[in-house]
Amino acid sequence: MSELRISSIETRGMPGKKRYAMVIDLRRCIGCDACMVACKAEFDVPLGVFRTWVPYKVVGKYPVVRKMFLPRLCNHCDDPPCVRACPVGATYKVEDGGFVLQHYDRCIGCKACMASCPYNARFMLPKHRTYTNITNVVDKCTFCHHRVTQGLVPACVQTCIGRARIFGDLNDPASEVSYLTNTLPTQVLRPEEGTKPHVFYIGADRNHTEIGRKIYDPQDVMDAERAVFDKNHS
Amino acid sequence: MGDYTVFHNMPWSGMYAIYFFTIGISAALFFFSTKSWFPTGQALIPIRTPAAYVSFALLVISGLLLIGDLSQPMRFLNIMNPAYLNLTSPLAWGGLNLISFGVVSVLYVKALKGNDGKNAKLFGVIGSLLALGLPVYTGFDLTVHQNRPIWNTPLMPVLFVALSLVSGAAVASLLADGKEVALTRLRSHMLWAGGAVGVMLIALLGTTAYGGSTSELTFMFMTSGSLGVIFVGLGILLGTAAPIAVLLTPFGRQHTGIVAAGGLLLVGGMALRYSILIGGQIVQTYF
Repeated sequence: MSELRISSIETRGMPGKKRYAMVIDLRRCIGCDACMVACKAEFDVPLGVFRTWVPYKVVGKYPVVRKMFLPRLCNHCDDPPCVRACPVGATYKVEDGGFVLQHYDRCIGCKACMASCPYNARFMLPKHRTYTNITNVVDKCTFCHHRVTQGLVPACVQTCIGRARIFGDLNDPASEVSYLTNTLPTQVLRPEEGTKPHVFYIGADRNHTEIGRKIYDPQDVMDAERAVFDKNHS
Repeated sequence: MGDYTVFHNMPWSGMYAIYFFTIGISAALFFFSTKSWFPTGQALIPIRTPAAYVSFALLVISGLLLIGDLSQPMRFLNIMNPAYLNLTSPLAWGGLNLISFGVVSVLYVKALKGNDGKNAKLFGVIGSLLALGLPVYTGFDLTVHQNRPIWNTPLMPVLFVALSLVSGAAVASLLADGKEVALTRLRSHMLWAGGAVGVMLIALLGTTAYGGSTSELTFMFMTSGSLGVIFVGLGILLGTAAPIAVLLTPFGRQHTGIVAAGGLLLVGGMALRYSILIGGQIVQTYF
């Protein structure tokens, strides 16, 4: 598969290198938000910001309607634009594993990585935190690097009640993620950006994963919620 | 089950637009001051010294704005750390460009104060090249983000150079102290650079309107509502088309007309920078 590699930073099919990925089977997601809670507990993620979140859309036509959940997180892209955008190398890719991580002590808070991320996966940590002095820098999902390097799976995967999230090494042909991506149709978010994400979805419909025209005319209730959100995060 | 709606903030606030505005003016004023040393720029001699001083003052203000907008202001020194520098980022090049321009500006002003024409000319030429890099890098800052409609176009660095010349000429017209020869030259700069901005805006709007779903939505946000008032009303109509029209009339050849057009161009320059910066971020906040 090396012919598919375009930039030198990519690790697709590299012998001896791990390439961790997550497959999210949307047919199994029940929107319980346990993954969000597990992530919050694992990293003491502050209020109002998320390393992983589960937005939904109501789809179908009355009376046959349902909520479609789309768990989101950093896509740990094979060719991450945030790594290119950071002027001080505070965000970097771990070659063996493909984790995209942060040097918190280097981050100057210019927010270029946030601007470059097509997935809104990055956020600014607040000025004050209770249990850690990592404040006022950009943060994001780490694919639970500290757990994976000890042979565990990420906290969100561990806790998922429906086993909708599956984690493993894509470069290992025997892994479950390899099996799923090789045998089932999978989708990635915003493939047109060329980031080569490492989060694959089963059952995602692009009508639901793309930005729809109705955002131009958002519901009033959303405006009210957004105003409260902006007030709390200004 | 309680549903919680997650929103996303715009990473870059309006403060960046003010920075783009002041650094663009600083760069253009330095260029005009340097140009006055050459035979083709003799008309600009009256603004040589004031333009250099105002350019330097705006450079200091711009630097403070940029540092103040960092969430870790004291870590701006990391930009100068060779061990940290990531040269794939336009911000890294911009930081180096800004610092080099600052150093050369100090040398230029020193030579100017000491009536050292030879060195002033030398530092002026070096500084002008670095000054050109400032609007170019600010444009690249936006261009490189492939997921941002209206930003992700090769036009952006060129547009920022033209905006820099327009806004710089407008401020220079205020510094010309009524000297007709300088005002006539600055009027010509305003007209040509303003015309270039107009042409580029038409191209930008056209490609954004037809550029796919997110681009189309960005176009809709930028041409309607409060952002539409700023972009179309203040930026295009009042701040670009109107001053060009004024400058083409007999009134636009008089001192008052040129200064009035300059004032409008400044309003337009700020409005365009702000709306392009914010407009490129709106749609993404809904993803």
